[in-house]
Amino acid sequence: MLEKNYLWRIYWQLAGVIMVCVVIALAAVSYFSHRVFERELVPETEMKAATEGASVRALILKATSYGIAFDRLYGVERTFEEVFSENPEFSFAGITNSEGALLYEYGKEPQGALVHFHGPALLATMRDPTVPWQVAHVGSQFMVSLPIISEGKPLGVLHIGVDSVFVDRVLLEVMLDVLVVLVVSLFFTLELLNFMAGARLASGLGEFAQQVERMKAGDFTATARVRANDEIGRLLRRIDAAVDHLNVRYEFLAGELQDKLRGAVGERREALKPAIAAFEGIGTRFRFGSSTKAADGDEMNLNRIRAPLFAFILAEELTRSYLPTYVNQLLVTVPGFSPQVVIGLPIMLFMLIVALGQPYLGSWSERIGRRNAMLIGAAVAAVGFLATALAYNLYDLLVWRSLCALGYAMVFVAAQGYVLDRTGQTNRAQGFALFIGAIMVATVCGPSIGGILADNIGFRLSFGVSAIMACLSILAILRLPSTEGRTVAKPTRGPRMREVMALIVNRRFMTLTGLAAMPAKIILTGVCFYLVPLYIVSLGNTSSMAGRMLMVYAVMMVLIVPLSARLSDKSLRRDRYVSVGLIISGLSGLLLLVSDSILVLFGVVFLLGLGQALSIAAQSALVAEHCQEEIRIYGYDAVYGVYRLLERLGNALGPLMASLLVVFWGYQGSFVALSGFVLACGIAFTIATRGAEWQAEPAHT
Amino acid sequence: MGTIRVRFITVALVVSFFAVGMAAFLNYFKYKSTIGGIVKSRVLVVGRSIENSVQASLSLGMQFTELSTLPAQMEREKASDRLIRGIDVFDDTGQVIYSTDPERVGQRVLRAWTEAAARSKSTEWSGEAPEEYVAGISLKNNFDLTVGYLALRYSRDYVDRAAAAAAREISLAALGAFAGIALIAPLALIVVIRRFERDLQSLEAAATHLEDRSRDAPANGSAFDEAIGYLRASLRNANVALDELRGKLDSAA
Repeated sequence: MLEKNYLWRIYWQLAGVIMVCVVIALAAVSYFSHRVFERELVPETEMKAATEGASVRALILKATSYGIAFDRLYGVERTFEEVFSENPEFSFAGITNSEGALLYEYGKEPQGALVHFHGPALLATMRDPTVPWQVAHVGSQFMVSLPIISEGKPLGVLHIGVDSVFVDRVLLEVMLDVLVVLVVSLFFTLELLNFMAGARLASGLGEFAQQVERMKAGDFTATARVRANDEIGRLLRRIDAAVDHLNVRYEFLAGELQDKLRGAVGERREALKPAIAAFEGIGTRFRFGSSTKAADGDEMNLNRIRAPLFAFILAEELTRSYLPTYVNQLLVTVPGFSPQVVIGLPIMLFMLIVALGQPYLGSWSERIGRRNAMLIGAAVAAVGFLATALAYNLYDLLVWRSLCALGYAMVFVAAQGYVLDRTGQTNRAQGFALFIGAIMVATVCGPSIGGILADNIGFRLSFGVSAIMACLSILAILRLPSTEGRTVAKPTRGPRMREVMALIVNRRFMTLTGLAAMPAKIILTGVCFYLVPLYIVSLGNTSSMAGRMLMVYAVMMVLIVPLSARLSDKSLRRDRYVSVGLIISGLSGLLLLVSDSILVLFGVVFLLGLGQALSIAAQSALVAEHCQEEIRIYGYDAVYGVYRLLERLGNALGPLMASLLVVFWGYQGSFVALSGFVLACGIAFTIATRGAEWQAEPAHT
Repeated sequence: MGTIRVRFITVALVVSFFAVGMAAFLNYFKYKSTIGGIVKSRVLVVGRSIENSVQASLSLGMQFTELSTLPAQMEREKASDRLIRGIDVFDDTGQVIYSTDPERVGQRVLRAWTEAAARSKSTEWSGEAPEEYVAGISLKNNFDLTVGYLALRYSRDYVDRAAAAAAREISLAALGAFAGIALIAPLALIVVIRRFERDLQSLEAAATHLEDRSRDAPANGSAFDEAIGYLRASLRNANVALDELRGKLDSAA
């Protein structure tokens, strides 16, 4: 593992340096943007304050025209309160008389205001009817003053204070997005390092390590490989040359010995015996000649899947944070269906197509080749994204999203097959870590960036960006080696109905699938893909906020899954990890019983991420651990096929259940009910997996 | 410069370009939406006084189509802010009933305006026309029923010019930041890359002496010292074995 750890250490060091540079650049851009904002927005806000002031002044003049004394007006503070409610950047409003004495006020009076109000220069200017308004910097506020003059007689002055830090407040939201960009940049950096340099480096260093191991074991067989013209390639060429020299020497000596033996008889042959013994000794200790192992550079080819997979999954993940809101915009009345259920339909349909398509697309991708299957899938999805961007209403949107789902399932299955084809028992886990890593990084980057894009360029153009990403993934797929002529992994098949029926009535299998895997997926898609984006927007927040929330979930997964997988494997109490994970997930939505604030919603997503991360790795391993009897009867592929099918049906059920619950109990009620359901499943799973009975039950046949 | 160094620096530049570009993009759109919001709310202040006046007339029992003082008030309000290009009042079919532009009376407004007004969850709504932005208010009677809509058309050019000026400045700042990073990042990266390159160089140098049995490879603290040691030892052992064979063949001659 020298080369892997060594490379990752280098990557993190490089990423650290790049991040420092990026932070400096972002700080510079933010600083200059702040200056532009302050310079341009402050005068605009002052003008707005003057317009508001003129409206208030008109009311005051109307009141005084009815004969009400200027210093005995009623409801001035109330009017100010209304103005403030619509203009959060205003922090003070007051009316002074013609001498500068404060008669009415509302909000936070800035330091030095009274001195400013009594200033002779201000009072003189405010007696001039030709002056519309005047601005001065008083304490921490920009004070806009308007004269109140009735029939040529100065009555007083209206002052509106604009908080000078309002620009900071405006930029705070940008800062949150910039923070998101920073996190995404870190993940992009690691992905790009792997894509642009890492795949070749990892492969080169991997080959170097393998070569060292081979030579340590006495294997000096020569491999006919084309080496890259870089540092590692040159190094490997030198090692190849040394091995070649050794082989030439061995061949020469072997030939010489053969020649001598051919004509040697009697004493001469006897004299050659030590040489023969030495030659045989060399034969037992070392191997020379040409390597019989195929020189196909599989490790590099395996690494190559990461970039196209990341780009493709990113295209879909970009839509997560705003898809329900977009559907809401294209909503049409579907007889017999509540709008909430209709909004969930495209997500549900997507999940259903992926769930039902995957078992059958596996064998299809084997037939036409993994690379070709990925190309077709990515092209289908790109068309789907583009058409979604141009969707007219919900009906055609359902068709376009179905295309995206079909493309997604094709690429996912083909990429999975690509990894299976290039890995064996020894490195399969490593291959899947690479596969899952690409997906996880896409889930961190996608929703957050998608939300930002949707807020700023609109939903349709954001789908256009997804289409571009899908097209970029096609370019990366084209770089993959063709699978023609190589041995594919053991052919997979979709589960048969007989197996599905037998397994769904199997208590042990269904304890795992029905009480753990399906509820986990139901709460994932119900909460993250449906409820969070809609609920956040319903609270008056943006899609960016929804994206940030989903990013919290993904970051929890990236950080906790490897740790929980390691710990659960080590402890061999995977069922406990699943129980704890389900119970934490189940508790998450109950937080909304306390409050409906964004901070609490953050807690919901955080707990959900934590719960899912704890249980997800252990769940799938538990199938092999506790359903050995079932695997023996139906086979590994069938048991896992049914497990994955039901798990993915859970994905489709999530938005449906969440939307039905919204119809009856609203968003908060839906969060609470879904969580309650998962909590109940978690408790039931914990009880069901206690004791020896769980270990011993035979399979139903 | 080594190819690995070029690749790492390219990664740094691509990532920096993405981050700086996104930051500039976010700042620009935030500026555009903020200034748009400020200008819109400024225009709506003018609209509120018309709305109050219409509601006062309706509460006195006057018909929405017979507000004779409304056109004059609309003219006055339009004149109070030079940003406002025109004010229309239209019914729920989109037909203009009152307008500061007499030729618009009787015409229909864009369907997008009535749709935006109908879709809005509050009384305020907004729309767009080819050269104008529209800030709107739904006019309601005392029974909270919508009787018509007020549309204040204001200069699109004003907002777009302000946004374009900000875009120029933010782009310049972003380009400057990117240029700075393009200078700093390679220098900063070289510190890390150099260590990596040194490891590779020591590996390469050791590889040139792999078959040189007279010297031991000097340990230089690189991450590959152990691996190089194994390589050299393996080759030495193999060569020693072949030397022995050579010797035995020679002695048999």
